[in-house]
Amino acid sequence: MIVCVSVVGHQNNPLYLQSFTEEDDALKLHHVVHCSLDVIDERVNNPKKTGSTLNETFLGLLYPTENYKVYGYLTNTKVKFILVTTDVDVRDADMRNFFRRFHSAYVDAVSNPFHVPGKKITSRSFAERVSTIVKSFGLGGAV
Amino acid sequence: MAPIAPRSGDAVFANVERVNAELFTLTYGAIVRQLLTDLEEVEEVNKQLDQMGYNIGIRLIDEFLAKSNVSRCVDFKETAEVIAKVGFKMFLGVSASVTNWDADGTCCSLILEDNPLVDFVELPDTCQGLYYCNVLSGVIRGALEMVSMKTEVTWVRDMLRGDDAYELKVKLLKQVPEEYPYKDDE
Amino acid sequence: MGREVSESCVDNLIIEMVSAYCNRFYESKPDLAARRIEAIGYQVGLQLSERYTMERPRFTDHLEAIKFICKDFWSEVFKKQIDNLKTNHRGTFVLQDNRFRWLTRMSVDTNQTNTDSSLDTAENKETQSASMHLYFPCGIIRGALTSLGIPCAVSADMSNLPACSFVVRIKG
Repeated sequence: MIVCVSVVGHQNNPLYLQSFTEEDDALKLHHVVHCSLDVIDERVNNPKKTGSTLNETFLGLLYPTENYKVYGYLTNTKVKFILVTTDVDVRDADMRNFFRRFHSAYVDAVSNPFHVPGKKITSRSFAERVSTIVKSFGLGGAV
Repeated sequence: MAPIAPRSGDAVFANVERVNAELFTLTYGAIVRQLLTDLEEVEEVNKQLDQMGYNIGIRLIDEFLAKSNVSRCVDFKETAEVIAKVGFKMFLGVSASVTNWDADGTCCSLILEDNPLVDFVELPDTCQGLYYCNVLSGVIRGALEMVSMKTEVTWVRDMLRGDDAYELKVKLLKQVPEEYPYKDDE
Repeated sequence: MGREVSESCVDNLIIEMVSAYCNRFYESKPDLAARRIEAIGYQVGLQLSERYTMERPRFTDHLEAIKFICKDFWSEVFKKQIDNLKTNHRGTFVLQDNRFRWLTRMSVDTNQTNTDSSLDTAENKETQSASMHLYFPCGIIRGALTSLGIPCAVSADMSNLPACSFVVRIKG
């Protein structure tokens, strides 16, 4: 189950965070997202050491914690997407598909003339679209 | 010689130079936002968007007449249909429908279900008085004035404000008898 | 997907925006008008660059990003590529478009034969208005590059009409 998705700006400023758990674990999730940013910086700046492909937007599994697996994505415009899930077996294709759709929703949200660059995304339609994408995760097909 | 038949909106749109709508949509959005910053009052922004539309309308009419083969409309009713079916289609790629005629045929509604100006747009709570698409009302008013019809164009419904369509009320105020400003073929 | 509008919508909107800022809002303050027009372009550039880089791997260096502006980005906006790219290898790039669409299509024409006695002033005005128009694409380029992580200053040179050169100076 996806427990949280987040968008983080190029100066590591939080732009969006939505959790999908009943529990009151916002603080913990913030912490997980925060820790993943360092992993992304490490990956991107030392690609050889970590063995990841140099410039692919999809960064794959960033790190596993006791309870979660954390996946990441970095756009050309230096914006980070983070996904936190409790699923143990995640198909690579599902994850790529998720991020592709999420990216497209993000781009539409920042195309709103009233969105202020670098500020939090407050769009209601973005939140709805994200929920839909999260719900259909792994169901395949739906684009 | 038989008059050339007016072309359908689809046919005209297929023949004009077209561009990716994103550039248009985003440019318009950036203009609206900059106007809100510079002019501060939402009312003033509405007014300026209408004025910009008016200036565009008085220029656009020539291109419209030239490319659509529309020569002269017999009455306001036909004019409204032409704007809805050919005018909107030719420039914005979407057509409108005409309804709500009053008894003497001088007032009607143009209804748009879709419109490239508003793609991606979500009005913030602070802009609830804004007629985001106000440039359109100005364009219609300006264009009609160039063919001797003085009109008043107002918004009735606006999807950005939660309505189920975009509805513009077009009211004919005065029609100056046309003195054949466009020369006939014979 | 793939929605289109008539090109004259874009042309007329830009002409009117420039004219509103130069002749109505900031008539006596051309510097302010120029800054506002550039700011409008900047926002459009930021957003377009988000949209146009969606399905592509990240650029590894400045040159790759600039080449993207010259090819894909320019093609989306102007339906042609930049004709010539030069660099001094110290952070300055010159992007030349031999027939810059917004100047040719908008007939901001400085070569127009003019029999008017006030030829000089008329020509000056035309040039002034053309240079005002160019703040918009300059803003677009600056916005697009900034969003790709390349802060820069962009100016335009139109001494060779209808060719137009955009000079990008990368900061830092």
